Amino acid sequence: MRSTFHTLETTKRSLFTQQAAINTVGHNIANANTEGYSRQRVTMVASRPIEAFGMNRSTAPGQLGTGVEFTAISRIRTAFLDDQFRNQAKYVGNWSVQTDTLSKLEAIVNEPSDSGIRTVMDKFYQAWSDLSKDPENVTGRKIVRETAVALTDSFNQISKQLTDLNADLTTNIEVKATQANTMLNTIASLNAEIRKIEALGDHANDLRDQRDLLTDQLSQIVNVQVVEQADGYSISMGGTNLVEGDVVTELSSASLTAAFQSGDLNNGEVYGMFVARDVYVADYRRQLDTMANTLANGDIQITLPAGSVKPGTTTPITAPETITVKGINGLHKLGYTLEEPATTGLDFFTFKAGENGITAASIQLNPIISADTNKIASSMRTTTANGVTSVVKGNNTLALIMSELKDTPFKFDQTATGNGITEATIGNFYNSMVGSLGVQSQEAYRQYQNSVAQTELVDSNRQSVSGVSLDEEMSDLIKYQHAYSAAARVMTTFDQMLEKLINGTGVVGR
Amino acid sequence: MALRVTPSMMHMQLTRNLTRNLTQMQELQNQVTTGRKINKASDDPVGITYSLRYRTELASNEQYQKNVDSALSWLDFNDTVLDQAGQVLHRVKDLVVQGSNGTNPQVALDSIRDEISQLKNQLLDISNSKVNGKYVFNGQTFDKMPYDPNTPNFDPKTVVTDTGEISYAVGVGVTLPINLTGNQVFGAVGETDNVFAVLDNIMAGLTAGSQGAVSAQIGNIESRMDKILNARSEVGARVNRVELMQNRLQDLELNLTDMKSKTEDADFEKLLIESKVNESIYQASLSVGAKVISPTLVDFLR
Repeated sequence: MRSTFHTLETTKRSLFTQQAAINTVGHNIANANTEGYSRQRVTMVASRPIEAFGMNRSTAPGQLGTGVEFTAISRIRTAFLDDQFRNQAKYVGNWSVQTDTLSKLEAIVNEPSDSGIRTVMDKFYQAWSDLSKDPENVTGRKIVRETAVALTDSFNQISKQLTDLNADLTTNIEVKATQANTMLNTIASLNAEIRKIEALGDHANDLRDQRDLLTDQLSQIVNVQVVEQADGYSISMGGTNLVEGDVVTELSSASLTAAFQSGDLNNGEVYGMFVARDVYVADYRRQLDTMANTLANGDIQITLPAGSVKPGTTTPITAPETITVKGINGLHKLGYTLEEPATTGLDFFTFKAGENGITAASIQLNPIISADTNKIASSMRTTTANGVTSVVKGNNTLALIMSELKDTPFKFDQTATGNGITEATIGNFYNSMVGSLGVQSQEAYRQYQNSVAQTELVDSNRQSVSGVSLDEEMSDLIKYQHAYSAAARVMTTFDQMLEKLINGTGVVGR
Repeated sequence: MALRVTPSMMHMQLTRNLTRNLTQMQELQNQVTTGRKINKASDDPVGITYSLRYRTELASNEQYQKNVDSALSWLDFNDTVLDQAGQVLHRVKDLVVQGSNGTNPQVALDSIRDEISQLKNQLLDISNSKVNGKYVFNGQTFDKMPYDPNTPNFDPKTVVTDTGEISYAVGVGVTLPINLTGNQVFGAVGETDNVFAVLDNIMAGLTAGSQGAVSAQIGNIESRMDKILNARSEVGARVNRVELMQNRLQDLELNLTDMKSKTEDADFEKLLIESKVNESIYQASLSVGAKVISPTLVDFLR
């Protein structure tokens, strides 16, 4: 049995429902450019018709419709694509940091240029060659000193830049940990909020969008696995739980370091920072240290020409003699300085006070030599007269050998570098170092571009599902507007019918 | 699945493509302005190792060329000095021939002797020649005067010059001795044709008026002249060798410069074409973007 105002009720429902749809269209349009927003849709269902079955149902035929109601406003989103995106984003984070660091390393090494280590190295050898033409000359020695200082300065400076880069990366890891913690805390509180709202049967669309966006951003920082459970997203990094419902395990640089070592942290920006710091920067520092130390102390084979007088002896050798000495220092100690009586050279390179051993950071020209260039040895011949041994200043043997060191293979301690080079000229060692840096940088950049392309593809797919299309929304708007107008027309019609019924009937005999 | 396309996707894609085009333009721009296609290690990791090696080799080549120039100037100087010594000996020989002529009165012989004494001093000066402040005939002890008149009991025929070779590096692993010692040129101690001994003998003979003693030295003078001539041709041979080295170094420099340029220099024509192409693609993507982005259904609904 239907009521008199049944149709009014039906049309009212229609008006409300279309209005909700129009409102949702408005909401979608408003958020067309909101990051992480997924479009929402009103689910309309025809409401329960009368009569319900039962013993006392009326005998009127037909199920009478009661109009429309909306059962849900839901967002359109595919969890599968989210997972894909998060799996790709971590690569973007990782490779972007690695690319960035490697290009900084390229800038530090600064080759090819006229100011890199290669150039000062060449100048150093040239200065020795010039000295070999004027071995008795003070000017030549001063130039040797200047070029040696330029060389050690270059080593020191690059080493300092590596130290700075190292410190920057360490700071960045902490900054990223803080950033990640903020996200984790927000995700946890969103978990709680969403749970409360959805317990009442609604969809917390906008809150879920926010949570997903934060999770996306988080996935670029560290590798995360996201599982949706009853109490919200539980997020873990490898075997480490980060968020469980509204409980957060905060990250710190210490815990991240542990996770990096245990393998729990294996991707994302922070991982990239660890790799950049502990692999690339550390490795190039090792190589530079080895290079500096080998230059000063690495084993080299040199040939002393006949007529040279070895230190501690007074008779010249009669035939050329090939011996092994320890780098520039060992070679320099074989020769005689300009001092009288004949004095053998000191260590050419030493290390700064407070350090132990020669590294790129600690290498310096021996301060004693720096203060007195007469202490630069260039001769390998002495003469003895009246019991006094004096140096033959015009002998340039040592200066010649020094200038030829550019083509002399040095023995490298391979355990320190691990790059497989055991014996090479310093120049070749350096060139291969620059070359391998180039390869790594190129590779990282390629990986970065690939991961970006992948991410963009997934994101595009996501947009295709969840993105707001204004065209679509406008056509929906028209659809709903017409539906609304039509419902209003039905109501007006029914109003007129009632008017007829109320005011137009029972007027017989007026 | 039929792909929905939303304006934001188009925006994203447009931005992405514009960025890509711009990045490419920047890269090309960089190559044009530096003139190099290798500006950092990752531009061409293999090429950069070559490029660094060429640069180093060019630097050392430049040094060798400098050394060669110094060697040449030293050798040329040697040649000049030997020429002077030869001329002095010619004069000596003329005088000796003149002096061994039996018709000279003692006065004439005395004046010949005086001239020879002068010539001896001239030879001493020559034997103490310096180039760049270095005594050329004293081996590696070129900081000391070889025939130093100030030494007590100075007698040039007893002077022993240093035998050390002065070597210049003129190529990878190539060193070249460039000096001659005084003993090689003017005769060692006790050699019969030691030029100073010969002159002393001549002067003694002239003083004594003994023509036989004087003419006996002609052979010695000639043999010494031969030796000086030999020394000159030795210097000439070294000059030839050094000049050959110089040519080789210049060729090498040309080769290295060429290889370096092939490795690291940008190809301008290609670059300009590429950047033009890139520019027009960029323009096109901009204009298409402008058309694509603006209209939506909103623009057409009244």
